[in-house]
Parts: sequence; C-alpha cells; structure tokens
Amino acid sequence: MGTEALAARLQRYRAAPWWPTATVLVIAELGLGAALLIPITFSDPNGVDPYLARLSVASVLIAMPSLFVRRLGPARPILLALSAVAATYTLLSAGPQILIDLLGSHSGSFDAQVFWASVAQAVGTLLIALAARRLVTPEWRPSLRLRHVSLRGLGAGVLGSVLLIGVGLALPANLLGRVALQPIAFGRDLPWLGPANALQAFSQEVQFRGLLLGALERTMSPRWANVSQAAVFGLAHLAISYGGPEAPFVPITFLVGLAFGWLVRRTNSLWPAVIIHAVADIALQFGIVQGLYGF
Amino acid sequence: MGSDRRRRRAITRITAFCALVIASLAATAPARAAEAWWIPVGLQGMAVTRVSAIGDIITVRTDSGATLRSTDAGRTFSAAPAGTTFPPPGVVAIGSQRWEIDSAGRVLHVANASQASATVLDPGSPDLGAGADLIASPAAFPGVVVAVATDGVVWRRGQDGDWKEALLLLPSSLVRGVPRVTSLAAFTEPLTGAIYASTTGYAVLISTDGGDDWIRAGPGLPDTVYSLSADALSANPLRGAVFAGTSNGLWEHVLQALPQPPAYQDAALVWRWIGIGAVTLVAAFAALLGIARLAPRRDDA
Repeated sequence: MGTEALAARLQRYRAAPWWPTATVLVIAELGLGAALLIPITFSDPNGVDPYLARLSVASVLIAMPSLFVRRLGPARPILLALSAVAATYTLLSAGPQILIDLLGSHSGSFDAQVFWASVAQAVGTLLIALAARRLVTPEWRPSLRLRHVSLRGLGAGVLGSVLLIGVGLALPANLLGRVALQPIAFGRDLPWLGPANALQAFSQEVQFRGLLLGALERTMSPRWANVSQAAVFGLAHLAISYGGPEAPFVPITFLVGLAFGWLVRRTNSLWPAVIIHAVADIALQFGIVQGLYGF
Repeated sequence: MGSDRRRRRAITRITAFCALVIASLAATAPARAAEAWWIPVGLQGMAVTRVSAIGDIITVRTDSGATLRSTDAGRTFSAAPAGTTFPPPGVVAIGSQRWEIDSAGRVLHVANASQASATVLDPGSPDLGAGADLIASPAAFPGVVVAVATDGVVWRRGQDGDWKEALLLLPSSLVRGVPRVTSLAAFTEPLTGAIYASTTGYAVLISTDGGDDWIRAGPGLPDTVYSLSADALSANPLRGAVFAGTSNGLWEHVLQALPQPPAYQDAALVWRWIGIGAVTLVAAFAALLGIARLAPRRDDA
C-alpha cells in the first residue's frame, strides 16, 4: 500500500466518531505502560520504586491538559477514568503507610489500615466520577449505571459468583495457589478485609465498567467499547502484580473484564459486576495461600 | 523546513540523553543473587518416604523399603546397619518438655521429663483420632504445638494454651481429591519459630507465626513430599537445615530468611529515583504530545 493510500485511510479514520477516544486510550495506555515498565530494566520493582505513585503522577499529568484545552474535550472522560484507576490505586496501596505516618500507634491493625485505605479509594473514585459528571459535556459524559438495580441483575450477580467459585475449584489448585483455608487468619481478617475487598471491587467497577466503558460507548460500537475497557482492565493488572510474574494475569483479567462488561451492558446495571467482583476478591483473599515471593 | 529539522534534532538529542541515563543506570544495577529455597541432595529418581537427619548423618527409607544412611551430609548413601530405626512418630521433646499423641489420638504433655513430671492430657486439646501421629513444636515459641488429625485438619496450640483449627487443605482439583499432610517439622533448638508441613500435592507449607498464617514454601520441590526432618546440627550449624524426602529424591532447605526486597542506600537509591522520575516525565509528555497531535479530528483542529 502506497503512502498516499495510507494517508487517505488515516484521513477517513480521523473523521470517524471513534477516532478521538480510541487514539486517546491507546496513546495514554502506551504512555502509562512505558512509565510503569521501562524502569524495571534498571530499578528494583519492590525495593526502591514507588511505581504506583509515579503511575499516578503520569496519569494526572496526561489528564490535566484535557480539562483546559477545549479540543481535547472528547479525551477528558477517558483520561479521567485512567486517572481514577491509577491515582486511587496509589491511595489504596499507600494508605496503610499514610495512616501510620499520620496516626502512629493509633492507626490500628494492618487489616484496619487496609480497610480505611479501601474507603479512601472508593471515596476518591466517586469524587472523580462526580468530576466527570460536572466537567464532561453531555455529548461525551459516561453513564455509570449505578442507579439501576433490578432483581434480575442481582440474580445474575449471585449466579455469576457461584459460577466463578465453581471454576476456581475446578482449576488445578497449584495453578491458583488455592491449596488450603486458614481458619485462624480467616477469623482475624474477615471483619476488616471482607468489606475492604468489597469496597475495592466497587471502586474498580466504577472505574472500568462505569467511567471507562461509559465513556467509550459514546463513540464506539458496544462490542469495541467492551473489548477496549477489558484490554485496559487486563493491562492495569500489570501494575498490581508488577513485582511478580505479571504477564499471565493479563489474558485472564482481560477475559474477566470482557465478561463483566458484557454483564453490565446486558443488565444495564453496575451492581451484578460489583457483586461478582467482590466475591472473587474475597475468595482470592481467603482461599489463596501466598507463596514465598508473595504470589 | 528548517524548524522541522531543528525540532527533529532536539527530539533526537533528548531521546539519546534518556537512553544514555537508562543505559548507565542499567549498567550499574547490581545483580541480585537468590539462594535457592530447596536444593537437591541426592537419590534423585527415587521416592524417599522417610528421612531423619542429625548432623552429617542422614538416614532415609526409600519406597522399595530399603534403609540407607549417609555420613557425609547426603553426598553418598549406603545400606544402613541392621537395626537402624527412625525417631518414634507422635512425640516431640523440647528441652525437658515433651508433647506426644497417644494411641487414641489425644495430645499429652509432660512439663518436665527430667523430673519425672506426670503425663497429662493437654486441656482443650482436640481429639485427633486413633492413629494420628504428626506433631511438632518449635523451641523458639514455647508452648506452641501443631498436630494433624486423622481427618487431615491441622490444629495449633497457641502460647496461651488455646487449640484452634489452623489449616484445612483443599482438593487439588475436582478429580484428584484432597492431598494428605504427611509430616510436620520444627526446630527443637530455638533457631527459628518456623513450622514445616509436607503434603502429597502441595509440596511444603510453612508457618512463621506459630501456625496462624501459612505460605507455600516449596519452589523447586516435587509436589509430593513424604517426610521432613529439621536438623539444627546440620553441616552448617549456625543455620540449621530441613531435609525433605520426596517422590524424586532427597532435598535440603538451608535455613534462611524469607525473601525480602533489597534495600538500596544513598547514591544507588538517588540515581534510581532520578531514572524512574525521568522516565515517568518523558513518558507522560510523549503521551500528551501524541494525544494533542493525533486525537482531535481534522475538523476539530
């Protein structure tokens, strides 16, 4: 294909309604991916690298101009969604240390600190969602689907949770680290970490299936919008397991994201995905025995 | 045209500078050498169903029933002398204290064996079931005892004397069922409070807090481990070692701290932070530039 034909095709694409959002998503993800992954070549991911903090800084740096430059208006909801993902995850992971620094011995047990950090993540996510409603023009504004609650949706959430646990039990235990239950740790941790996991699931659903999917749907076909948010959801798990074997998580979380997106669209409600996500996170928290290296 | 060339030259210079910074940092990064958690000792290709190690003397039993002995820390094995026995199961002695499981599956305690204290049933201890014989008690945590019931439940006694269920193995898959706990081990000298549990599907699990929390600690080991022996007098007496008889030979874990991230200091830390900061800024600005140039449609620009 000649240069002219390529240029003509590019011209056609740039006129398409999905072009701004798709381009913003791809470029922002490339930028965040580079910011996250390049330093692994010369720095230690666990020892010295505040990688979540710098990921947040990068996401905010990328998002800020869209608030002031009018022609970047279509990019605004996408960049706000990515900021919500990165910045509030930093809040979650740094929360316990912040509480120790602020409150010292009054900061409670580690479980309690994780719970309060999860509250902060949820509040931060909701504030950014609120900002998105205020700062994004109706044309590009994402629908969060938080208000729609139905029996059918809740039933789908319960059914999906049962299915997920069944799949978890059917897969080889060593593959998942699902080798044993620890009743003492369970009794000690559940009162704090159960709600903490539910809050984290809620935050992530608002970020990915609320803000991001909602924004992408404004310009893309439902199928492509879902694939795109699932891809970002999958890639975001590179950051969560940055110090560990990150690559295997991406296809799994991509498929999970795809299923959650489909469910949210199908039921027109975020809550079924929140329920399944919360159950999955709690099951991972209490059904997985950690390895020597934390995974 | 001229300004385009200048811009390209500036971009090239910035890129080259960033590459130089990254390359110099990469060149100075020290390699991290990790000590293997488990290392093979010998008898590979053979199932070792029983192991007992004291100093350089290691006694094993293979699945064919042969009893072998090594007097050189496992480098070579030969047939053990007739009458060689293994320590009796179901008993653990820590100094003058002794814990044991009787034939009915009850946990008994002798507070001071040297003064002929009475053997008493430990209050609140669970009924482990007749035939239960797996018990361990780390000298580093006096009063802590871990024992396995015949139904597979791992129980732990806290330092306050309270017995609780500590570990329930889950099925390895829908068709393969629940693995068995085959052995428990802990150091009877106060080297570490770690408690080791071997299994027939999940290699080895350890607890470093007296049985409350467990982690998978079998990287490198076969999934099936039949027997464990904690040896405080191993070839490296300052550290101690745990030997594992597995479906594929004898393995050794030299006592070491759980893996931790390295701590960098001073210049090594500062240069890394400068490097990652630079990468973050360059990546963010490159993304912004790309969005500003490509994202808006022609008619918006």
